[in-house]
Amino acid sequence: MTTPESTGKPTVKIQLNGSEVEADPSQPLIRACHDHGVDVPMYCYHPGLHPVGSCRICQVEVKQGEAPPRVVAACRTSVAPGMVVDTESPKAHETRRECLEFLLKNHPLDCPICDKAGECDLQDYAFQEGQGEGRSSEPRRKLHKRRSLGDVIVLDEERCILCSRCVRFFEDVTGTAQLAVTGLGARSVIDTFMGRPLTGNYQGNVADICPVGALTLKRFRFQARVWNLTKTVSHCAECSRGCAITVEVLRRKQVKRFRPRFDPNVNQYWMCDTGRFAFDHVEIPACEPGELTGGRLTDAVQRGAHGVAGQGVAGSGVGARGLEAVDVDRALGRAADALTGAAARAIVLSPFVTQEEAGAALELARTLGAEVCFVSPPPNGLQDDLLHTGDPCPNRKGLETLGVPGLGADDVRARLAKAGVAVLVGERVQELIGLERLAALTGGVRLIVLDLVAHDLPGLEVALGVPCHVEKQGHWLNVDGLRRDLAIARSAPAGVEPLTRLLGQLAGAVGRPAGATAEVRR
Amino acid sequence: MTEIVIWVVKVVVVWGALLTTAAIMSLAERKVSAWMQYRYGPNRVGPFGVLQPVADGIKFIMKEELVPAGANRLLFRIAPALSAAPAMLAVAVIPFGYTAVIAGHEITLSVADLDIGILYILALGGLGVYGVILGGWASNSKYSLLGGLRASAQMISYELTLMLSIMAVVLMAGSLDLRQIIEGQRAFLDWNIFYQPLAFVLFTIAMFAETNRHPFDFAECEPELVGGFHTEYSSMRFALFFLGEYCAMTVMAALNTTLFWGGPSVPFWPDAPWYVGVVAFIVKTSFFLFLFIWVRWTLPRLRFDQLMRLGWQALLPLALANVMVTGAVIALTAN
Amino acid sequence: MVILQRKELTLAERLYLPEILRGLSITFRKFFKKAITRQYPEEPLPKDEVTRGQPRLVVKDDGHLACVSCGLCEAACPAYAITIDGHEVDRPIEREPERFEIDMLRCILCGFCEEACPKDAIFMSDELELADLTRAELVYGIDKLKRPRSALQKRIDYVYRINDRWRNSSSTP
Repeated sequence: MTTPESTGKPTVKIQLNGSEVEADPSQPLIRACHDHGVDVPMYCYHPGLHPVGSCRICQVEVKQGEAPPRVVAACRTSVAPGMVVDTESPKAHETRRECLEFLLKNHPLDCPICDKAGECDLQDYAFQEGQGEGRSSEPRRKLHKRRSLGDVIVLDEERCILCSRCVRFFEDVTGTAQLAVTGLGARSVIDTFMGRPLTGNYQGNVADICPVGALTLKRFRFQARVWNLTKTVSHCAECSRGCAITVEVLRRKQVKRFRPRFDPNVNQYWMCDTGRFAFDHVEIPACEPGELTGGRLTDAVQRGAHGVAGQGVAGSGVGARGLEAVDVDRALGRAADALTGAAARAIVLSPFVTQEEAGAALELARTLGAEVCFVSPPPNGLQDDLLHTGDPCPNRKGLETLGVPGLGADDVRARLAKAGVAVLVGERVQELIGLERLAALTGGVRLIVLDLVAHDLPGLEVALGVPCHVEKQGHWLNVDGLRRDLAIARSAPAGVEPLTRLLGQLAGAVGRPAGATAEVRR
Repeated sequence: MTEIVIWVVKVVVVWGALLTTAAIMSLAERKVSAWMQYRYGPNRVGPFGVLQPVADGIKFIMKEELVPAGANRLLFRIAPALSAAPAMLAVAVIPFGYTAVIAGHEITLSVADLDIGILYILALGGLGVYGVILGGWASNSKYSLLGGLRASAQMISYELTLMLSIMAVVLMAGSLDLRQIIEGQRAFLDWNIFYQPLAFVLFTIAMFAETNRHPFDFAECEPELVGGFHTEYSSMRFALFFLGEYCAMTVMAALNTTLFWGGPSVPFWPDAPWYVGVVAFIVKTSFFLFLFIWVRWTLPRLRFDQLMRLGWQALLPLALANVMVTGAVIALTAN
Repeated sequence: MVILQRKELTLAERLYLPEILRGLSITFRKFFKKAITRQYPEEPLPKDEVTRGQPRLVVKDDGHLACVSCGLCEAACPAYAITIDGHEVDRPIEREPERFEIDMLRCILCGFCEEACPKDAIFMSDELELADLTRAELVYGIDKLKRPRSALQKRIDYVYRINDRWRNSSSTP
């Protein structure tokens, strides 16, 4: 919000709290204040939406020319040359406090229950500027506490301060005006048109921009206290746009929220609900005790030499040779043996692998003389003209830049059918090729899988666990070729090694003569 | 045959009494200290905690025995025995009564009547320090080593005072035989305490030092040396050191009674039956055992230099002077 | 600078013996005094509303926990002993704890949770004894923590009383 955008634009000089600063006259005064590090509270103003000046909390004292100083709403006042702005004058403080008192008059005291507590602007400014006790003896408004506005959002009408950010979001950003302030005076509430549920792929954003806890996400409601969430700067994996997000993890384990992060070049302040709720790809439960498939793969599994009773045999129809758990070193040794012994080798990457991992895979391919491609699923039909590209491959551009061709699932299958040994690399690679395609592979190809989960595929030789995209470092290139960095938001389950390391060790192991590869040293 | 039976019975009774005393002392030490500090002391095992020594014994036996790395294993193992054995042997010459007549047999109430009983006790007392020194040295621990060194320096220093204070009594009795000494004190007014009060004070002080008891327990000295010579000991070997200490205390208390307080002599009742004499001996010895505890929970520990100065500069000259004066007086009166 | 004059000791003092005897007489007299030890399990500790024992959760008279799982005690806890997960319930008070765990081995009985609680839901009870065979047993869940309000009433009254005093004194300038 406070990123100065004055470069190359005409500026004017104003006096801000006693110092002369340059401000962009096309922006409201509050923007100039924020750009120069002066904290002016705001509820209705949002840098991504058109200002309306409904909350009046941003009032500051402005003196222009010879006229006596006036208290004006900074979000609705344009910057004019020679303005003398005082945000901290007693009058400004007084006005803001009175304004706050009105806002708090009907605001319920349910901060202990409210999900916004801890990141609530009303709470922060009430603590900063307001008075400790209310003076009103009238009862507070009684309104609906739980109004469902569609599948994503719940509205608490009591908490709402009618800033109309959500209304303007649907007007300005998605262009599908769905919310409005209905009713008059003290009976004003936010409502959808004719009570219809909200639609669209961008509803979640209104919960982010709501300055209080009035609009909350159904998926996040009462899930965690926000101060318990560890926030990590990362990028969304759901499409090739690569929106800037923060990954918010509860107690170092559970990913609770993906929230958009301001990125002027890609997603501004927003993200789509597909990406916002894409927990399924990172919250894979652990395997049931005693099972090796059906959950997150830690360490490794391999096709047992003689089969282990009760494991992986039942229902898979693969005969007596079941899966057995094995440590990473031995699994890598087994994989290296399989690779050295085979004639035709193929490497199939997931479109989720980072550039670094792709580099390691290409190194392995060079060592093996193998063909490399990545699985390129068809567009998923979620494309819109705002953010979602419809292409579920976050690193398509990066892989293509590296010269890795993208193949459709059937082409991948055809390539696998010709190979003797194939390495499937990266999270969700099996899913994207299609489990039924992999299960129906003929020609006796042996699969070395590096994925989040293991499946009891007939051709499976070895499967190793890999970190998912919130558990690794690296970068993707988005659809526009912009670098999208990933950071470790939580550690991978114990036993899961970084993919680059696994690939590097595999490349090192196959470089050695057969027989010496049984033990891979780390 | 009867001789042997009597002898065996005496050995069993005296050693049994000695070890029982040591066990009782381990409880009494805690009880007395507790009472002096407004506490109860051990009171959970048996009525009033009387079974506490048994519980302690069981625990000592059950505990794992640790031998530190780098310890001299042989010496480390025999040191506790070396510490306990001399005190247990010394008790043999202590006369705990005059002569008993049971079923027509005249029985002298001591395990062994040696003509040189005092020399025997002093010799064994000198041996007792070996256990401490060897235990400290063999542990391969700086604390143990320092404890052992201190113990040796202290014991050598105070043995002189101890001997010289005894010498005065020996001069009075004209014999090294303990039975001779108690025979000479049969009458109340013949008790050596009335003729040798200085020797008694010197002996008592040296007695504390000789048994490594407060305020001279530099061999242990918890604040400085953790546990002194027995820092590294555990289990029954640790218990043996304690047994040795309590046996030595008992012997010293009995010796004090014998030398200065008439042994089994009962005041104003010279013809008291032998068992009354034994009771009198036990009462007197018990008082000195109580004194050991009493002093321990009253006085603070000295500093090591104070201990040495006291031994060499105060007690030793006094003891020498006492012997000389006693000798001179005896020589003069004999003439 | 102060020059301390060391007192010359008299002969009796230098002999120490009289002082030793005096010391012995003191300990001997104490010997007969009554013990002041508290025989703990038989003679329990005195408890009143000031006793700050283990924290307990208040069950309101309607049978529900007073706790709304706001997490303030969790945040206030200096020993990180408290873990709370909330969930939505279909009552006017929309949230209650699904999991409320206090690791009693971590709890230092400081009372910060009681002070932090905006809902009068957690109070320091007078329960002090803590013993079990496994560590897991000592992580107390809701079932072990909840107490009817009446059981904690004395402490609740006390906390209200001292908070009122605090409030009055701070509002006067």
